[in-house]
Amino acid sequence: MPLDNPVSDITEGVTKGFLDWSIDKITSFLQKLENREIAFIEEQKTIDIVKEQYLSGESKFYGKYIKDKKFLFLARLGLALRKVEGDKERRGNLRDKIFKKYSVEGLHIAEFVENGILNRYVGILIEGLISIEKLEKDIEDILKNIEKYTLFVQWTSNKAEIVKRADIKVNSNSPKIFIVSGFKLAAQLVRDCTESFIIMLNDYELERFSTGDKEILFFKRKAL
Amino acid sequence: MELISLKNVSVNSKLLLLKELGYGSDGEFVLSANGEKAIDKYAEIPVRVNNMVILPGSTVILDNNEFSIASYLEEFGEDALG
Repeated sequence: MPLDNPVSDITEGVTKGFLDWSIDKITSFLQKLENREIAFIEEQKTIDIVKEQYLSGESKFYGKYIKDKKFLFLARLGLALRKVEGDKERRGNLRDKIFKKYSVEGLHIAEFVENGILNRYVGILIEGLISIEKLEKDIEDILKNIEKYTLFVQWTSNKAEIVKRADIKVNSNSPKIFIVSGFKLAAQLVRDCTESFIIMLNDYELERFSTGDKEILFFKRKAL
Repeated sequence: MELISLKNVSVNSKLLLLKELGYGSDGEFVLSANGEKAIDKYAEIPVRVNNMVILPGSTVILDNNEFSIASYLEEFGEDALG
């Protein structure tokens, strides 16, 4: 086992100023670990970020109304993404891991939550709420069909392409609510396309959520 | 649950802790008993000694990142970390 021959860079000089644990101390720790009394972590901030999201009101809400475990987990990861929004490296790391495990669809679900789209979508659903069961079904429906009902605009797209993709999605899927979202550089692209969307989706009414770096359009079918 | 920070713990102490848990290290990565790199079972990446998390529950050694911690909570329950 390599432990018997620690590599050369693990020298006393490197460890100076750091805590040294005795074998007795470590044995005591192991007993506590077995009793689930302690855990070891390099950086506590990671656990704090995750726990804070799990304990948040929004997470509890989703815990109540999202029955599918995978979707709920992705929603919670979306909340974690929101929390680390200002930390480019941490956010990128988390996005990569979500993508690796759940592909683009899973990442879109997490981003849907991160950017506050799901909570606004729920707000629209609540306006016409019939029953809790229907609310749960509609939330699951949007998460399950996120690629059909939502257009995630990329900054690399052009206006004609965006409008065409929206047209195809709406005509193929007839969503009750169709969502177009763009963030950062893509937000302006969405703004530039809004008039074209309004003309094209004339049997929908628009509810717009706009901030400096986010542009989210909710097109609600008028029959709703 | 008390969280013990590994940030200011000497490398030798970390290695000793790993040894007592049945793991090893090549100086950079955590090694499992068979000498292969220990893999974070959620993120599916090798765990580095300088970025590890050791959690209860048949002793789970993970990479210190939000995805893995959240996955652990999904498996062991929201209260698993107190």
